[in-house]
Amino acid sequence: MSIGKILALDKVATFFNIIRQNGGIRASLYKLYRQDELKDGVLVGEDKYGNKYYENPRFFYGRNRWVEYSDNYNMNYDGSQIPAEWFGWMHYKTDLPPHQDPSRPHYKWMSDFTENLSGTTGQYTPYSTTRPKVEAWVPKPKTSQ
Amino acid sequence: MSLVKIFSISTRARTSGTTGMLIRHASSSQGKVEKVYPPNSPGYKYVNAENPAETFKEMSDRAAQTMFWTELARGFAVTLAHVFKEPATINYPFEKGPLSPRFRGEHALRRYPSGEERCIACKLCEAICPAQAITIEAEERKDGSRRTTRYDIDMTKCIYCGFCQEACPVDAIVEGPNFEFSTETHEELLYNKEKLLSNGDKWESEIASNIRADHLYR
Repeated sequence: MSIGKILALDKVATFFNIIRQNGGIRASLYKLYRQDELKDGVLVGEDKYGNKYYENPRFFYGRNRWVEYSDNYNMNYDGSQIPAEWFGWMHYKTDLPPHQDPSRPHYKWMSDFTENLSGTTGQYTPYSTTRPKVEAWVPKPKTSQ
Repeated sequence: MSLVKIFSISTRARTSGTTGMLIRHASSSQGKVEKVYPPNSPGYKYVNAENPAETFKEMSDRAAQTMFWTELARGFAVTLAHVFKEPATINYPFEKGPLSPRFRGEHALRRYPSGEERCIACKLCEAICPAQAITIEAEERKDGSRRTTRYDIDMTKCIYCGFCQEACPVDAIVEGPNFEFSTETHEELLYNKEKLLSNGDKWESEIASNIRADHLYR
């Protein structure tokens, strides 16, 4: 055990490293406000919505992968904003990020990802996809006579 | 109550004697069988509180700890240590917990790679559904193929047992990986065919990888 480790100097170094990686004191404070946590990690990839995915195996399993939601979302980030391609990596189903996974299908009928739209104008409202079985009788209008 | 009885009770309490063992004489009829309490058989663990040691050093140590409130200082030290400790919880929604490829979440209707919908309206899922959450109506399509006109799932009835995807002969209805589909109203959870198909279009990338991950066991 080195003298630096006994005095926890490596922890201090990690602290300054985290501040530097997150872009200085002001940016770190903003990230801390937005994400409740500051971490250092390797940028694994970015999806087309601007969410950035990081990894650092120093943290324990379950905390070693994380997402930083796009700045466009501001404080309205949500767990359902992670697209389907990154879902598996984010949930530790696969170690392959989607751009390195050749087996993922890309069909032209696959649609764009949407977050959970409940409570917005884009929310799903149920409707019947068939004609009603019983239709009301509409009487013929009386011909004038 | 005689004095003898009182003293016999007091000796039953564990004393910090030479061995810490209490020898109780069983008053059985034939002879005296020595029973040791607690029995020192393997696998036996004495879990009750033991009386503190009564040597002079131990007693003065305890008195000093009480006088100088060292418990307080040690308690604060533990608290301070936990401030700097890595938390044991995950920071959802930035971090997420591990999930199985077999996870049964929100339903989706899949398509063939050509874009044709898979469901052939065999109604096996409707038949097997223990919660009777699925409603299917079928009609012949213009090109003569058998397809559903109505495929409704009441997600508030569904118990997420996964029988529907096991019953499906063409892998059309699947329980996808998504669990973040909570809604603000009840009616938003009454899914119809269009919603299920759009779920499939949205999640196909992940659904296909899940099926591939599990293909050896299917």
